[in-house]
Amino acid sequence: MQSESRFTPRYQREPARRVFAAELREAHYHFKDGEDEKSPTYVLLPTGERCNRVLIIGSMTQKEKRGDQNIFYQIRVSDPTGTFFVSASSFQQEAMTQVSKIDPPAFVAVVGKPSVYEAPDGRVFVSVRAESVTVVDKEMRNCWVLDAAESTLKRLETFGTTEDSKLAGEHYATNLDVYRRMAYEALAQITI
Amino acid sequence: MDLSEAAQRISRKFESQKVKIDPAEAEKKLRTLVEDFGVNLTEAEKTVSENLARDHNLASMPAASSEMREIGSLLPGEWATVEGKIVGVAKPASAAISQSGTIADATGAIQFTAWERAKAPQMEEGQWYRIESAVVDEYRGTPKLNFHSGTTITAIEKEVPIMPQMVRISDLRPGVASVKVKMVQEWEARHERILQTGIVGDESGTIKFTIWKEEGMERLEPGMVYNIFYAAVDEYQGRLSITLNGAKCFPDEEAEITVGTGAATVTGAIVNVGPGSGLVKRCPVEGCNRVLSKRNYCPVHEVQDNFRYDIRIKGVLDDGTTAHNILMQKDVVEAVTGLSLDEAVTIAQESPLGLDDVFYKIRDAVMGRYFACSGSDLGDTLLVKECRPLSFDTDRHTELLNQIGGESHAE
Repeated sequence: MQSESRFTPRYQREPARRVFAAELREAHYHFKDGEDEKSPTYVLLPTGERCNRVLIIGSMTQKEKRGDQNIFYQIRVSDPTGTFFVSASSFQQEAMTQVSKIDPPAFVAVVGKPSVYEAPDGRVFVSVRAESVTVVDKEMRNCWVLDAAESTLKRLETFGTTEDSKLAGEHYATNLDVYRRMAYEALAQITI
Repeated sequence: MDLSEAAQRISRKFESQKVKIDPAEAEKKLRTLVEDFGVNLTEAEKTVSENLARDHNLASMPAASSEMREIGSLLPGEWATVEGKIVGVAKPASAAISQSGTIADATGAIQFTAWERAKAPQMEEGQWYRIESAVVDEYRGTPKLNFHSGTTITAIEKEVPIMPQMVRISDLRPGVASVKVKMVQEWEARHERILQTGIVGDESGTIKFTIWKEEGMERLEPGMVYNIFYAAVDEYQGRLSITLNGAKCFPDEEAEITVGTGAATVTGAIVNVGPGSGLVKRCPVEGCNRVLSKRNYCPVHEVQDNFRYDIRIKGVLDDGTTAHNILMQKDVVEAVTGLSLDEAVTIAQESPLGLDDVFYKIRDAVMGRYFACSGSDLGDTLLVKECRPLSFDTDRHTELLNQIGGESHAE
């Protein structure tokens, strides 16, 4: 009644991880899962989770338009722990249009893909290529901080037991207390 | 029967027990028994199997038994002889298969596959057959009866009444099942070989169904109740669906079913508002309702200028661990975005961006925001019946602070 050919593996969308800026900043190990050209690439979070997409909600504090022919925007989005560097270029036409209409400061929700870059001087930094940037409000920012703290905590609790966190153990000198404190302070900063 | 066939059969049998054995090795042992010791092949096969099973510490090896089995009790890994009635045949999906379908006796039904190499006779629907030495195996969790070159198939005269056991949707398992369902919804077919796909349901829940294009196959009428006998139930990535090719569908004009929702609730942020969201035009032909292309083209009914407008969101709600596809229809979209269908139509007609403007307004209203969505699980999409915006949860905040705070003091 059926053959192999009827079944192709269902496309599973990568979940958008919730990660604080202070943690994403520390990420530098990235890898590709599989040999295929289209295999997803991941940035490994120091608390031990592969991450191909992130959801960030924070304040857009700066917006810069760069490039002559190929215009792109660089924006800075801050959460209670630090700053995310987000870019939107003509490769992300939709996101670029969205960014062009937002004036900082504003609470924004960014869905995007993190990637690790190496600067000519050898410094490594992580930037997020935006797929979408929308204006939200403070309440959503607060929801996100809760969400990010909870996700971070879950990763800390399972650290050393999951495949990804074992990998993180090999590539980072993760100090769990640092991230626990980070999450605590982020939560403590929420005022209602 | 020859030795290498028997050896292959032994090796397949062990494979079903997750043990790899070398068919050449088995053949050598068989040859010794048959040629040097004059053991008959059946006996030799049994002996070799048993010895190998002992070597691999397998407590019990399903026997290649000629004993008659009840179809309802067959288990993967077994060799079986059954007598059953062909209750459905389907066009083989591959050239390597000469026939596939469903065979049933009074105890149950199972899908069968006759491999081309088996040179099995074409079986006729409604006819009883005795099938000796078929292999029960498993394909994606669904038990199947495979006919190979060692299987003998004989038409027999037998008339035992078979009453298919009707099963509730929520109790379905991979295999073959009979259900009484209402056709609830038709989806756009994503494959040219699909005649119809959508969902059917009973009081206990809903399930996706598919009818592949094949001669004699008919579509189901939306809203109609059907008795469906011997449908193939497949499992894929934890989700069940039924295929109606090879099944018998009888409309029941009298019956009425209140379809239960396999209610599910997911919470998270909307991280994607996909193409096909916003204001759409639907085909006005009765029972069609397909979304028209930008040029008002319906894949079935061609250009339709008397379309009707509809508004929807096809998006992704993501909790940070799993991305759930969600589908919101008019009422939910209006409630969540505050944009009514009429307003959307006005915007589309007056804005220089047209339909895109509606899409952007809807996207900007929901993207990056937290919601609790509940509705029915359509397999790979949640059909959202209710969507509640989430606000900051102060209790959860306090709880998390205490949790982390407490831990860091303890250390």
